[in-house]
Amino acid sequence: MKLKLTPVKTIIICVIFLNILSLMSLYSSLHQAGEFKEQAIFHKQIIWIVISWACLIIFSFISYRFYFDLSFILYGLNLVLLIFVIVFGKRIMGAQRWLDIGFFSFQPSELSKIAVIFILARFFSHPEKSFLRVVLFPFALVMINVFLIFKQPDLGTASILLFLFFMLGFFSKVRKRYFIFLLIGGFLFSPLAGKFLKSYQRKRLTVFLNPNVDPLGAGYTIIQSKIAIGSGKIFGKGFLSGTQNQFNFLPERHTDFIFTVIAEEWGLAGCLFLLSIYYLLLRKISQGLSKIRDPFAQILSLGISSFFFLHIFINIGMTLGILPIVGLPLIFLSYGGSHLLISFILLGIFFNICRSHK
Amino acid sequence: MDKNIVSRVYLGGLLILALSLFYYQALKGEHYLRRAKNNYVRVVPLRSIRGSIFDRNSRVLAYDKAVFNIAVIPHQIEKKKNSLLKELAKFSDYDVNLIHRNYNKGLNNIFSPVDVILDINKSMVLKLKERFKDDILINPQAQRHYSYPYEFAHLLGYVKEAAPFYESLKKYGYRPLERVGFLGIEQYHDAYLKGEDGGDLIEVNAAGRTVGFLGVRKPKRGKDVYLTIDCRIQKIAHQILGEKKGVIILMDSKSGEIFSLVSSPSFDPNFFIKGRNVQRFLDNKNYPLFNRAIQATYPLGSTFKPIIGVAALEEGKITPSTKFNCIGGINIADTEFSCWSVHGEENLHQGLAHSCNVYFYNLGIILGAETMAKWAKKFGLDSLRGIDLPYEKKGFVPTPQWKTDALGKHWFLGDTLNLSIGQGFIEASPLEVLLGINVFANGGYLVRPYLLWKVDNADSRLRAKTYLGISQGNLNIIKQGLIGAIEADGGTAQLLKKLNLNIAGKTGTAQTKGESHGWFVGFFPHQEPKYAICVFLEHGGSSYEALGVTYLFLKRLKEENLL
Repeated sequence: MKLKLTPVKTIIICVIFLNILSLMSLYSSLHQAGEFKEQAIFHKQIIWIVISWACLIIFSFISYRFYFDLSFILYGLNLVLLIFVIVFGKRIMGAQRWLDIGFFSFQPSELSKIAVIFILARFFSHPEKSFLRVVLFPFALVMINVFLIFKQPDLGTASILLFLFFMLGFFSKVRKRYFIFLLIGGFLFSPLAGKFLKSYQRKRLTVFLNPNVDPLGAGYTIIQSKIAIGSGKIFGKGFLSGTQNQFNFLPERHTDFIFTVIAEEWGLAGCLFLLSIYYLLLRKISQGLSKIRDPFAQILSLGISSFFFLHIFINIGMTLGILPIVGLPLIFLSYGGSHLLISFILLGIFFNICRSHK
Repeated sequence: MDKNIVSRVYLGGLLILALSLFYYQALKGEHYLRRAKNNYVRVVPLRSIRGSIFDRNSRVLAYDKAVFNIAVIPHQIEKKKNSLLKELAKFSDYDVNLIHRNYNKGLNNIFSPVDVILDINKSMVLKLKERFKDDILINPQAQRHYSYPYEFAHLLGYVKEAAPFYESLKKYGYRPLERVGFLGIEQYHDAYLKGEDGGDLIEVNAAGRTVGFLGVRKPKRGKDVYLTIDCRIQKIAHQILGEKKGVIILMDSKSGEIFSLVSSPSFDPNFFIKGRNVQRFLDNKNYPLFNRAIQATYPLGSTFKPIIGVAALEEGKITPSTKFNCIGGINIADTEFSCWSVHGEENLHQGLAHSCNVYFYNLGIILGAETMAKWAKKFGLDSLRGIDLPYEKKGFVPTPQWKTDALGKHWFLGDTLNLSIGQGFIEASPLEVLLGINVFANGGYLVRPYLLWKVDNADSRLRAKTYLGISQGNLNIIKQGLIGAIEADGGTAQLLKKLNLNIAGKTGTAQTKGESHGWFVGFFPHQEPKYAICVFLEHGGSSYEALGVTYLFLKRLKEENLL
């Protein structure tokens, strides 16, 4: 079996481009009225990028079949960590969803994204196609995760997990109508979910429908985010020249709202170029799908591209105000170590699939 | 699987984003650019009032008072910043470096006011406003104030701006300028006390003048919290401890309601609020920020003996009339384990009243280390007591297994003897010791101590107790021994007899590096115990000093009719 064009090189070029853009935007977002503040964040990100590349190389040498056996263990570990965070977090002012490991802190909900991709790949690639074994059981496992993460509370990750379940389900060979049943069932129960939302999360959802309800809080962010993006116009204001960003109108602009910095400084042209790069990346990961014979590998790589796509779509969608603000990083660009590491590890796994199918 | 479908879904999704971007940037770009240029939107924060904290008699312990700050708007004073701040300093007699420091610390965005002079009096405010006109703003703010700073520092804690911890707090709805409780009740019950900050969202022109009003969110006041503490008792306890390092706890024996909990030395939380120099508290070798009642553990010394006594009775190893002969010590493997006196033949009652070491060495040998550890744990010496204060520390109960695992050494008979008189590796916090001894006062219950009484007007007491299942007869035998310590001839706590309060209790001198620690733990009146008390002096010399403090403390309470 031979893939026509090895996607690995193209993907590496795309990711290097994204790394550079990420550092530039981070550098810019840390400036305030011309002053470079919080340089430590910038340095930390460089270290994270180096570590992530190392992980990518390591993971590209680990046989992906290994994750088939690992999936349940990893899932179990992830449950333990999530429960640990909830129990531990309550003690310290109810304010922790991070685990400190030495010099950096790690967010266990990132690990659960990988764990869920693994178990879904395992279940959906199972030759038996009974509703109970292939759909209901994995759905239950995913829901346990969703529930625990929802409790943290991290609405963004919880919704990513749900979307992953349905996307992988629809694209795999499992009968589509099973998932339609689940979706209809889900809609019937959705009013219940509202009860679990924290008050500020409920506020965010109402604000999504009408930003003027809360012009100081969540609405403020949407309004300012749109102003930043829109004012970039076609060609942008240029590097380090975004006024929205420089005058500190936007909170969290180096993490979840990094896209506004890019949009303001590079304009529509820059944004379209960035979207093309993302598309190239997604296409390269999904183009060889039909040629992969091992169904586990097939769903695994599908999971990897879906994971990237969902982060891109939801994050940019929320900065544009077409999706509610749920707090998700923009893949490869936002500041933060956990999600960067996870993305690179996933790419490493995909590279190994490519190697095994050469 | 059709690769085209997958790719098409991705392409479709990205196209939706591209189209929205086209709409915002190409079609509406001009509109948003105009808004960005005129984006002189300013948030003027309106701080919420934090709930007050009261004692059981509604005396106010902590409250928000209004203070006046002088603020500047960075954007407006950009060009003349240095000269203006210098003038301000000269005119107000405020340190110019401090003004600059406040400016740099408070700078958030160039359109939001920054407080540069904090907490100045009204007449000065008016003078400054007259002199500097529109260059400055008067910014009235709520500031936390503690009525009895030293007396309540450990119990109440203080408040800080959330900004430095904002990253970890923001997911829970905190805002950077909001105040968050730190240590004590302020931290533990922050959720009740904290209100919700609001703000005015106003539009200003390039000159910094308000041209439009976009919205307001009114601040919400936090809830008032009433504690079970009696402020008068707390003050007396603090006074009596004075310069000594130590702890006084007075508690309701049945419910676990705390009347007074004092740790000394103490500090002034108001210093932390006003941004004054707090280095002297941080550098102090006696660690005044440390709440010794719950955050530190010490060897128990003889206060452990009642627990060993009841263990021996319950395990059926002795009867109340079992006697051991004290000849001033006991010789084990060529090592002398001494008693503090020569007591002769003694039974359990006398052993407790006179605090005879030899008696309890013998019990230790009979029971063995494992059984003693089991009983120490049963009395909660290695678990959290669940008081509503943050950072409680639990004690430690050693076992032979632990010593092998952790230190790689065997457990010797000497370790057993040390454990039987509360020496060696065993440690507990004063609060744990108090609740352990209190079991003998209230008929066998380990109660949960608490400080919170009411939130606004709602009773919020969290009462809980665990029944230890010890026979009433055996509890009473120990209780009689504890009464003996005060009433009997040669009792170790006879000094307290003079108070006529019918006290029962146990003294303890815990040997440690340097001066010994002194303990007195007890309850009264012994017929129907209402109060449980613990007095602990860190390196106080001996139990006698602790007894002295207990005596003075209870005498004052009696004189002032507080019991």
